Amino acid sequence: MITAKDLYKRYRNTVAVDHLSFEVRPGVVTGFLGPNGSGKSTTMRLMLGLDAGGGETRFDGERFTSIRRPMNQVGTLLEAKPFHPTRSARNHLKMLASANGIDDARVDEVMELVGLGQVRRKKPKGYSLGMAQRLGLAQALLGDPRILLLDEPTNGLDPHGIHWMRDLLKNLAAEGRTIFVSSHLLSEMQLMADELVVIGKGNMLFNGDVDTFVREFTQTTVVVRSPSAIEFKARLEREGATVSVEDDGALVVSDMKIDEVGSLAFSEQVELHQLSERSASLEDAFMSATGESEQFVAQEPVKPATGGAQNA
Amino acid sequence: MLDALRYEWTRLRTLRSTYWLIGSGLLAAAAIPVIFGFAGSDEPLNAEMTAVGINGGASFGIPFLAVFMAVIGIFATGHEYRHGTIQPTLTALPQRSRLILAKVLVVSTVTLVVTLASMALNAAVLLAFWGEVPSLLDDPLRSSLIGYPVYTLIYMLIGLGLGLLFRGVPSALVVIFLMPLIIENVISGLSIIPALDWLVPVVKFLPFTAGMLMMSIGGLDMGPGAPDYDFFGRLGSGVVFGTFAALILASAWTLFKKRDA
Repeated sequence: MITAKDLYKRYRNTVAVDHLSFEVRPGVVTGFLGPNGSGKSTTMRLMLGLDAGGGETRFDGERFTSIRRPMNQVGTLLEAKPFHPTRSARNHLKMLASANGIDDARVDEVMELVGLGQVRRKKPKGYSLGMAQRLGLAQALLGDPRILLLDEPTNGLDPHGIHWMRDLLKNLAAEGRTIFVSSHLLSEMQLMADELVVIGKGNMLFNGDVDTFVREFTQTTVVVRSPSAIEFKARLEREGATVSVEDDGALVVSDMKIDEVGSLAFSEQVELHQLSERSASLEDAFMSATGESEQFVAQEPVKPATGGAQNA
Repeated sequence: MLDALRYEWTRLRTLRSTYWLIGSGLLAAAAIPVIFGFAGSDEPLNAEMTAVGINGGASFGIPFLAVFMAVIGIFATGHEYRHGTIQPTLTALPQRSRLILAKVLVVSTVTLVVTLASMALNAAVLLAFWGEVPSLLDDPLRSSLIGYPVYTLIYMLIGLGLGLLFRGVPSALVVIFLMPLIIENVISGLSIIPALDWLVPVVKFLPFTAGMLMMSIGGLDMGPGAPDYDFFGRLGSGVVFGTFAALILASAWTLFKKRDA
C-alpha cells in the first residue's frame, strides 16, 4: 500500500504538484495519468524523496528514505537510460544489488526475466530505448519488491514488449503487489490499469476505478438511424434531449437513456433502423477531464487550401 | 553503512576510468625519478631530490598522481549527475549522508593505497639508478614523505567535493586545474609588484601552495625577487589546505542533502 499525503512542489513561480493526496492499493494496477508537464514524474520523485518538497509518502507504513535496503521493498523505474555508458548492464545491477544485500544470482535471474540475458555483459551505451527500459525494469525487480513505482515503463518498447510488460505487471498485481505506473498512452492504461490517479497541472482530477472515471467524465450517447430522422430529432429535442446529426445522417442523442428513446420512437410510430448505445473511451474521458489542464498546447494543424495555386 | 561501502566499492571497481586514471597517475609519477635517473645518476642523491623523486614531482609543483586521484574523486560524485545514475543510486541508498560518507571513505582508502604504491615504485626506480637512497626514516625526508599521502588525499577530497558541488564533471575539472595552475600562480606573481604588496600575507593562505609546503624540503622557490611570505610550517600549511578541502566538502554535502537529485 502506498499512501501519499499533501504532496507539494514549487519551482519559482510554478506550482508543479499542488497538495496531492491519494492511496495506491495492493492487488491492482493503478495508473497515473496526466498530460505532458502535469507533474507525474515530479510527484513520483517527491514520493521517493528525490526532490525536496512538501508532504509525505509512506510505503507499507514507512517513508522511503527510512527504509534499510529499499530495493527489497520498493522497486522503481524513473528515467530511461540512467546508466554509466561503459559499465556493463550486469555490473550496473550488481552495483545496486550490493547496496541492498542482493546476491549475483538474482542479478542474472532478473536479466533473463526481462529478456536481456544474452546482452548482460554489454555496455548500455549500445542499448536501444526499449532495451534500456527493460534494464530499468530489471533494476526495479531486483529485490523482488512488494511495491513497484514505474514512470512510463512502456516508452520505447515495441508492441510485443508492451504486451509483455502489461502481462507482467498484471501478474505481479495478481500476486498481491502494489503497482503504480504512469503512462501517457491512454489505450495502454485502459488495458492495464484497474484504478486511476489522474492529475492536471499538479492538481488531482480523479482518483478511483477506470469505469467510474469514464462514467464521470463522459456521457454515454444513443445512436439512432431512421428514415424519419429529421422529424424524430425535433421530437427528441422537445423532450429535452440534445441531438446532433452525423455525416451519414445518424442521430447522436445525449441527455436521454436508450430505453426512453426507444419508447418515444414506439409511441410516435417512428421506424428505426438502429438504436444502440455508444460508450465513451478512456481517451474521451481523459480529454474531457484534462482538457483545461494541459501545460503545453500545440497549435491545431492548418489544413492546406484546396484548389489554390501550387507553390513554385 | 556496510551496504553503502559495498555499493561504492562496486561502483569504483566496475568503472574502466578508475583503472586507466590510476595507471596513468602511477606512470606519470614514476616518470619523474626515471628522468632524474637518466639526468643525474652520477651525482649523489640528496634528501630534497629523493623527496621530489618519491613524491613524483608533487613538491616541485607537478603533482601528477594527486591530479589523477582528484579526477577519480570528481568522477565519484560528478559522474552520478553526468550520467543520471544519481536516481538509481538514491533509490538503492536513500540515506544521502551515508552515501557521501561511503564515497569519501572508499575513494580515500584507494587514494592512500595507490599513493603508497606509487611511493614504493618511485623509491624502487631511484634505487635502481643510484643503488642506494638516503634513509627514508630520518627527517627532513621522513616528514616530507608523510606529507605526500596526506597532500594527495586532501587533493582528491577537493575533487570529490567539487564534483558534488557542481553536480557534474566539466566545471569541477576546470576548477581543479585552474586554481593551482593559474589563479594561485597569478596571485603569487602579482604579490611581487610593490603596488600589490598587500597580497604578500595572502599567499601563505593559498590552499594548493600551502599543500605543497607539506612535502617541501627547504621551502618553496617563488622566483627571483620574491618577498618573504612567512609561510606556515608543514603542519600549519596542511591545516590551510585541509581547511579549504573541508569547506568545499562541507558546502557540497550540505547542499546535496537539500537539493533535488
